[in-house]
Amino acid sequence: MTICTTFMRTFRHCGKNTNKNQLMRSSLYVCVVVCFCFSAAAQLKPPIDNWPTYHGDYTGQRHSPLTQITPANVNQLAQVWRFQTGQPQQIKATPILVNRIIYISTPDNLWAIDARTGRQIWHYTSPMNNAFHIGHRGVAVYKDSVYLTTPDAHLIALNTNDGAVRWNVVVADSNKGYWSTNAPLIVGNHVIVGVSGDFDNLPGQLKSIDADTGKTQWIFYSTPPPGISDPPSGGATGGQMWMTGTYDPELNLVYVGTGNPTPVLNGAVRRGDNPWTCSIVALRPDTGKLVWGFQASPHDTHDWDAAEVPVLVDANFNGASRKMLMQASRNGYFFVLDRTNGKNLLTAPFATVNWAKGIDKDGRPIPDPNKEPARDGRLVAPNESGATNYRSPSFDASAGLFIVSAQDGYGIYFFKPEHGEYGWAGADYGIAGRAFLRAIDYQTGKIKWNHALGDGASAAGVLTTDSGLTFTGDVPGNAMALRTSDGTTLWHAAIGRMGNAPITYQLDGRQFVIFGGGSSLYAFALQ
Amino acid sequence: MKRIYWIAAILLGALSGIGAAQAPGGRAQSPASQPPPQTLNPQSYPADLVRAGQTRFTSECGFCHGRDAAGGETGPDLTRSMLVAEDFRGNKIGPLLRAGRVDKGMPSFDLNDADLGAIVAFIHDQKTKGESVGGGRRSVDVTDLETGDVEAGRKYFSGAGNCSKCHSPTGDLAGLANRYRGLPLLQRMLYPSNTRPAPAPAKVTVTLPSGETISGSLASRDEFTIALTDSAGMTRTWPVNDVKFTVDDPMTAHFEQLGKYSDDDMHNVYAYLQTLR
Repeated sequence: MTICTTFMRTFRHCGKNTNKNQLMRSSLYVCVVVCFCFSAAAQLKPPIDNWPTYHGDYTGQRHSPLTQITPANVNQLAQVWRFQTGQPQQIKATPILVNRIIYISTPDNLWAIDARTGRQIWHYTSPMNNAFHIGHRGVAVYKDSVYLTTPDAHLIALNTNDGAVRWNVVVADSNKGYWSTNAPLIVGNHVIVGVSGDFDNLPGQLKSIDADTGKTQWIFYSTPPPGISDPPSGGATGGQMWMTGTYDPELNLVYVGTGNPTPVLNGAVRRGDNPWTCSIVALRPDTGKLVWGFQASPHDTHDWDAAEVPVLVDANFNGASRKMLMQASRNGYFFVLDRTNGKNLLTAPFATVNWAKGIDKDGRPIPDPNKEPARDGRLVAPNESGATNYRSPSFDASAGLFIVSAQDGYGIYFFKPEHGEYGWAGADYGIAGRAFLRAIDYQTGKIKWNHALGDGASAAGVLTTDSGLTFTGDVPGNAMALRTSDGTTLWHAAIGRMGNAPITYQLDGRQFVIFGGGSSLYAFALQ
Repeated sequence: MKRIYWIAAILLGALSGIGAAQAPGGRAQSPASQPPPQTLNPQSYPADLVRAGQTRFTSECGFCHGRDAAGGETGPDLTRSMLVAEDFRGNKIGPLLRAGRVDKGMPSFDLNDADLGAIVAFIHDQKTKGESVGGGRRSVDVTDLETGDVEAGRKYFSGAGNCSKCHSPTGDLAGLANRYRGLPLLQRMLYPSNTRPAPAPAKVTVTLPSGETISGSLASRDEFTIALTDSAGMTRTWPVNDVKFTVDDPMTAHFEQLGKYSDDDMHNVYAYLQTLR
């Protein structure tokens, strides 16, 4: 209601020469659309002509109710438009679609484009900076502002109409080694934004910023800031929250995955489990207070962030109705948790793993000390890029499948005291990998089907739809549609390597699927 | 004691030219014992070009290769790279940057000459500094790897490892340890296709619907197409549904073996291969 009032006020103040009744009608229309878009209920089930947040909705399931494109007709998909950024950087972001405008980003760049035609509406370039330009995950939209993180860890609010900057605030100090690729999560008026920083011993921090003013509301530290004696993390820093979290409005909890500890490969100087690194944490969105945490990799020494999407599912689990959280983690294990309290329901490997001695009573893998980095090298599966990574998985409730782009890979890990205690503090080399799309039965952890995607790892995430389709991409650069029930390929198009998951929406009665291939966005629909 | 760390950290920071890489209170790293390869043709660059290169290098290359070019999240230490040691004013680095090594995860970079020149200047400047301190935080020295048992390795080579099915210590592997040492030898042993020179590509034989067969080297393959380079050097591609084909890829056995080695097996076979001189 507050938002509606604000919008009414905004629209009354603009368009002086416009017929008042007409303006009121259009204001009301926009108000209804926007209010609906940003209510918690809508973020759980957004309207089909929007993809308003990184995961499409608050659950992180990346599953769409759309059914126009089906296993029977998907072979008639044809390209409708292609948007070329004209820049060499690969698109690794999820496009965000609100009010028929798609927002797509690469480091330092944000484009607003027409969702019907793929034509550019505006392009914003953030000020030149020398922070890492390694990738960008996407933006967030709230009311008539779009929020962009920058490589040097700023958060910029821009006017959705023209890309004009409303404010620009520092999230974290890039001179210390922080950078950001993060697509913020918006809950209420909180813009929740994370940063990265593996090359320096920096505390892990997640910031909530006021969507209207840019003021900091709270900071959650996954590892303590400097100055704390006897830190609970055992001396570890790190645990950066560089991926977009998920949100349960009923429990009023935000779920975020945290990254690896620092120093990265030298575990000797940070004894113990190093909470809350490589963890899933549940936070109060209004205060940032920790409600519970679950460590996917206690005492990680392999750079296996647990930053992957914490997918929220309400469903039956072995006979009981459960509010669950599922994550396919970079360390090769699939976890099912009770998201009301963080208790583990299932832990099962979904890719080749050789680093754990077993599973402890809390469902956490027990690291094998013999697989920690050593002077003469240890052959470890997965490799550093992980059994999966930031690429989004998808959950299809009707199929009961959690579908993830996985890698069976090996690396060799070295550490000797000469490597020091700062930043990476060790050496690791990927040896080889094989990519697969894997469908996991969430109640047993068993792999229902396995679809080879090529040598190495695919960076493409996954989208499923109610019609029984799974969209993803392979290593060589094909966008693909598979039958969700058995993983059979039904359609493909060679568009170049995909850097993140596709999205889908329906406009003017027509369902579109959008893929990022290379440095272009491609829109496909039925002919 | 703490003060010594501070002084050392400041010195290292100054030497590396990137103070931010050394956090306050961070401890200095001991230099590795093995020196990096020497630059073949010593070269120097103006300080302002190096500074411009540092900015470009950090933003485009720093995540993988480290802000100081000494190795980052996935990329190697460029101050110890043979290609950098052999480069003269970008004659090797330039083409590599523009082409990328896409199969190994390195993208191509669309750089203008000025940016390219600046990045080359920064890499060489870092290498010169690295040579003077003998550092390398990702270093793996030859002696680090010498923990295996030669006899156990010889046994594994011809026994459980099945290595002798394809390789011979007096044939293709004769003198291997003269060509590779240390980490490159270990990497070559585990999975040769990611090392240089690249091993011979997989062999492909395609049978056309007419019954004609065409053999060649695997050029590319995915779920939908198979492509080979024939004896005339021409690349030929077919939809997989239109032909029958077989692929003989030695990397398949290497990959399967990665799941079978214990760390001792790995070190033992390495120790044995080190004797093939």
